Amino acid sequence: MNPLRKLFDISEKHFTGSGNLALLAPLFDATKTFFFFPSPKNKHAPFVRDNLDLKRYMSLVIISLLPVLLFGIYNTGVQAGLAKGEMYPFIQAFLIGARYVVPIIIVTYAVGFFWEILFASIRKHKISEGLLVTGLLFPLTLPATIPLWQVALGISFGVVIGKEVFGGTGRNILNPALTGRAFLFFSYPVSMSGDVWIAAKNTVDGVSGATALSIMAPEGETITTALGDSGFTLSNLFLGFVPGSIGETSTLCCLIGAIFLIITRIANYRIIMGGILGLIFTSIIVYLIPGGSDSWINAGPLYHLCAGGFLFGISFMATDPVSAPGTNPGRWIFGFLIGFLTIIIRVANPAFVEGVMLAILFMNVFAPLLDHVVLKHAVSKRIPNA
Amino acid sequence: MEHIYIQKGFKTPLAGMPDFSIIQLPDPGTIAVSAMDIPYIRPKLLVKENDLVKTGTPLFCDKRNKYIRYVSPGTGIVKHILFGKRRRLREVVIQLDKIDDFIQFETVPLQILDSTPKSELIRLLQKGGLWQCFRQFPSKDTANENHEPPMIIVSLNGNDLYSPHPQVILKNNIQNFEFGMALLNQFSNRIIVTSRKSSLDELDKLNGLTHHITHIVPDFFPAWDPGVVLHKLKTCQEENRSWCISAEHLIWIAKLLLTGKYPIKKVVTVTRSNDKKPHIIARQGSPIKDLMGGRDDKSLVTTGYFNGRSAQTTSHIGFFETTLNSIKDNQEEEMFGFIRPGFNKPTVSKSFLSCLIREPKELDCNIHGEERACINCGYCTKICPVDLMPNFIMKALSSDDIEDALSFGLLDCCKCGLCSYTCPSKIELTKILTHGMNTHYKDKE
Repeated sequence: MNPLRKLFDISEKHFTGSGNLALLAPLFDATKTFFFFPSPKNKHAPFVRDNLDLKRYMSLVIISLLPVLLFGIYNTGVQAGLAKGEMYPFIQAFLIGARYVVPIIIVTYAVGFFWEILFASIRKHKISEGLLVTGLLFPLTLPATIPLWQVALGISFGVVIGKEVFGGTGRNILNPALTGRAFLFFSYPVSMSGDVWIAAKNTVDGVSGATALSIMAPEGETITTALGDSGFTLSNLFLGFVPGSIGETSTLCCLIGAIFLIITRIANYRIIMGGILGLIFTSIIVYLIPGGSDSWINAGPLYHLCAGGFLFGISFMATDPVSAPGTNPGRWIFGFLIGFLTIIIRVANPAFVEGVMLAILFMNVFAPLLDHVVLKHAVSKRIPNA
Repeated sequence: MEHIYIQKGFKTPLAGMPDFSIIQLPDPGTIAVSAMDIPYIRPKLLVKENDLVKTGTPLFCDKRNKYIRYVSPGTGIVKHILFGKRRRLREVVIQLDKIDDFIQFETVPLQILDSTPKSELIRLLQKGGLWQCFRQFPSKDTANENHEPPMIIVSLNGNDLYSPHPQVILKNNIQNFEFGMALLNQFSNRIIVTSRKSSLDELDKLNGLTHHITHIVPDFFPAWDPGVVLHKLKTCQEENRSWCISAEHLIWIAKLLLTGKYPIKKVVTVTRSNDKKPHIIARQGSPIKDLMGGRDDKSLVTTGYFNGRSAQTTSHIGFFETTLNSIKDNQEEEMFGFIRPGFNKPTVSKSFLSCLIREPKELDCNIHGEERACINCGYCTKICPVDLMPNFIMKALSSDDIEDALSFGLLDCCKCGLCSYTCPSKIELTKILTHGMNTHYKDKE
C-alpha cells in the first residue's frame, strides 16, 4: 500500500467524528483529496459522470498562469537589475526575481487558506478549489516591491469581503483577487501606484521606474515617441520587459495563457474576444478624436493592447465564471464593455492610469443585470410551457 | 423525410454497442411486474400472495385512474408482493407455470379498425393492460384518454444509447407496426416517427417501413428522445400536451388487438464493459440476473446509463425498460488524479488529452470528484439538448421561485441526465430539475 495512503488512513480518526482535531476536518479533507482523487459510486441518475471536476478545472487555470508567473519572476529580477544600472544574467535575474515574488505568493496562500479553512470549519463545508486560483492571481496583480503585510491585508480583504461574506465560492459578486487588489490600490496608493519601483527606493535596492501608462509626452512630441524614448517600445511592451505588476507586463505570456484557456474551454472565449474587440474599437474611436496627441488618447489600439494589465485582466480575471455573466450574449457584452471602459478610464480619467481593474470590477457588478436582460429575452423566444 | 437539426448532446463515441444478432432466452422461473419504473403511479393491488394468475390477469392498477391496469405477463402463482420504503410497491413476483394460459381479450381486425370508435379502442387497451404505453408530455405520465393529442411522437430508438436497435424490434413485425400506425391515426392527425440517421440503412432493408418515418435525427444521445423531438418541432403552446410512444409498445398494442393475447416477449440489450453482446428476446418482467448472466460484484447495474434506475440483480426488468447496463466501478482513488493528462478519461470538455482520441471509450459509474458550489461555468447549458439553462433553473428552484423556473422552460426538460453528467461541480442537476417538475406536476394534479 502507498505509504502516503497509510498515513492518511491512520490520521483520519483524529479529524473525523469525535477526534480531537475534528475542527480541522476541512483541512484534512482538502489535503487528502489533493493527493488521492475521490471518486465514489454514483447514487442518482445519470450513473456516469464526466471526468472533469472543479479540481482539474482550477488546476488548468493555474497551468495557464505558469508562463505569466515564470516570466514575471524573471522580469522582476531584470527590472531590479535595471534600476540598479546592472544587467543580470538569466539565472541571477530569475533568482533575484524569485526573492521578491515567492514570499508574496507564500503569504497570499498562507493567509488565504487560513480564512478559507476558518470559514469552511465554521460552515462545515469542504474547502473550495477557487482559492488556488485566487491565491495565484492576486500576487500577480501586485508590484514586486509591495510590503508583505499589505499582501496579507489585501488577500484577507479579498477572501473575506470579496467572497466569504456573500456565502463563499459561487456566490460572490466580485472577483475576490481583484477585490483584494482594489482594496490595496485605494488604501495604499503609494505602494500600488504606477511608479512601482520608486516605492522601493528607500527600502530595498534603491530601484525606480514608471509604468508605461503613466507616461505623458512632452510638448510637441507624440505619445509613441515618448514611450519609445522611455524604453516602452512596442516590442518591449509585447514581450514584457517593462516595469509593472508582476504578472501583467508580458502580453505574449498572457496571450499564451489565454489561448490555453480557450482551447481547453476553461475560460469562455466570448469574454476574451469581446474584451479585445471592445478595446480595439474604443481605442480607434478615441484615436480619431482630434487633439491629445501627447497622451494615451493617441496611442492607438496596439499600444493600448500591449501596455498595462489589460490582457492579464481580460484573460484571467474577467473570465472568472462566478463573477462573469452566465449567458453567451451577456458574455460578449460583458467583455466588450470591459474593453470599452478600460480605454475610457485610461484616457479620460487622470486619477487612474490603469483602468482594467476598475472596469472588470464595475462590470462584475453589472453581470447579473446582463444575465437578467438576456434571460428575459431568451424566455420571450421560448414557447411557454407551464 | 425531414431532418431535425439538433446541435447539442453527448457525442463521445462509446465502446460495447450490442450487435444485431438475436438470441431467444428460455422462460425464467419467476417473472415480475415492477412498479419502480412507472412514473407517478399510486398502485392499488388487485391480487394477493398465492393467488393464481393467468397471462393477462390485472395485478395492480393506478389509484388515480383505476382503468389503467398492469397485467401479468405470465401464468402461475403470485409468489411474493415486495414493498420498499414507506410500503411503496416494488414488484409483484409470479412463479411461472410451464404452460401459458392466456386471457382472451376482444380482437380488432385491421378491416374494422377504422370503423371502431375511439372510446372502444381505449377501453380495449386499458383492459389489455397496454394503455400506459401512451405517455403524455410534459411529465410523461400515462396519457389522459379524454385528451386529443396535437401530435404523437413514435420513437424507434429507446431511452438510452444502448437501447435495442429498431431493426431488431421491427423485424418480422412490419404488419404489426403498420396496424399500430393506423391505430395512431385514430388518435391524432399528426404522427411523427423519428429514426436515428445511422439506423436508416438497416431499416431500408425492411420493406414498407421507411415511408412511415417522418423525421431523421442525428446520431448522438439524446437526439431521438421524444422530448427533444417535441422541443424542436413544436410551434405553439398546445403542442406541449403531445403524446409519445415507443415503437415496441406500438407493436405490442397491435399484437394485443390483432390476437387478443397479451404480448409476453420484449427485446432487451445487455451491455458490459467492452463486450459486444447480442440482442435478447426475453419474457417481459424477466429476472435481471437471468438477463445479465454472471456479473462482477463491483459494477453497477442500471436500466440506462443516463436516465435509467439502478437495479438490484434480484429484481426484475420493468415494463418501460429495454436495456441493462453493467457499468464498471473504478474504485481506486488515483494519486494526483486531477492533474493527470488523462488519455483514457472520457470527457465532453476539452480538458483531458482523451478528447484528441476519437476511439470509442468506456464510461465508469464513478462521480470523479466531489460536490461543489455552482460556479456558473455553463457546461450544462452547452450540452442541454432542449436549450435549457439548468444552472439558472436550479438556482430558481432552490429559491423556491417556481414561476421563474417554469418560464425558463423547466417543463421542456427531457430528463436525459446530461446536465448532471457534465457538471464539473458534480451538482445533481437532473435530480433537482426532475424533483421540481414532479412537485409542480403533483401540485397541479
